[in-house]
Amino acid sequence: MIGSGMKKIILQNEPIDMAQMLHEVESDSDGAVVSFVGKVRKNSRGKNVLHLEYEAYREMARKELAKAADEAEEKWGISNCLVAHRFGRIEVGEASIIIAVSSPHRHEAFLAAQYLIDTVKKKVPIWKKEYYSDGSSWINDKE
Amino acid sequence: MKIKIKAFAAVKEACGFEDKELTVSEGISVEKILLELKKCHPGLKEFDGTLLFAINEEYCDQDSVLSDEDTLAILPPVSGG
Repeated sequence: MIGSGMKKIILQNEPIDMAQMLHEVESDSDGAVVSFVGKVRKNSRGKNVLHLEYEAYREMARKELAKAADEAEEKWGISNCLVAHRFGRIEVGEASIIIAVSSPHRHEAFLAAQYLIDTVKKKVPIWKKEYYSDGSSWINDKE
Repeated sequence: MKIKIKAFAAVKEACGFEDKELTVSEGISVEKILLELKKCHPGLKEFDGTLLFAINEEYCDQDSVLSDEDTLAILPPVSGG
């Protein structure tokens, strides 16, 4: 990774500790911390979702997320950023991803957080499978 | 030369393998490997036009060429987040 800010990529099976993640990006020179949390919904495409499973190409996902973090720093001059994505089984209501960005002012942090989640949706090799009462399906269409 | 193939998510299920080693001719393209794979794994055909590819963890095109010991990943459209 390039630049001087802290950039952290976490891929983990365990639940995400939100407070800890936000704390990680804070600094006394930053007036803004923007976060995005993606959660598992109980319904999708007209079906009741029981739980999800995420699979990741972990080595490559890490690289793609690191590139996106570098790009965000280059474009908006943010200070610190963190992306934590879970894999494995995740229950309804739980967070599958958190993105946290800090910068001196809010505008850049909002833009960078949006860019990071959009990049995850487009480019980072992670897949979700939805489980219903009557089966399961890999999700591979664009939302 | 020898290469490794990795399949993920829906592609892994349709092909029935996660990792595979293949012996292929020098300078083979992603597209040619895919054609070969479809012969033994016809399930791959349902992904025509939607697949993404990576060589050694970097995205590549269908006409990218592989070298000895490379790892080719076959990826369905991503759906993380």
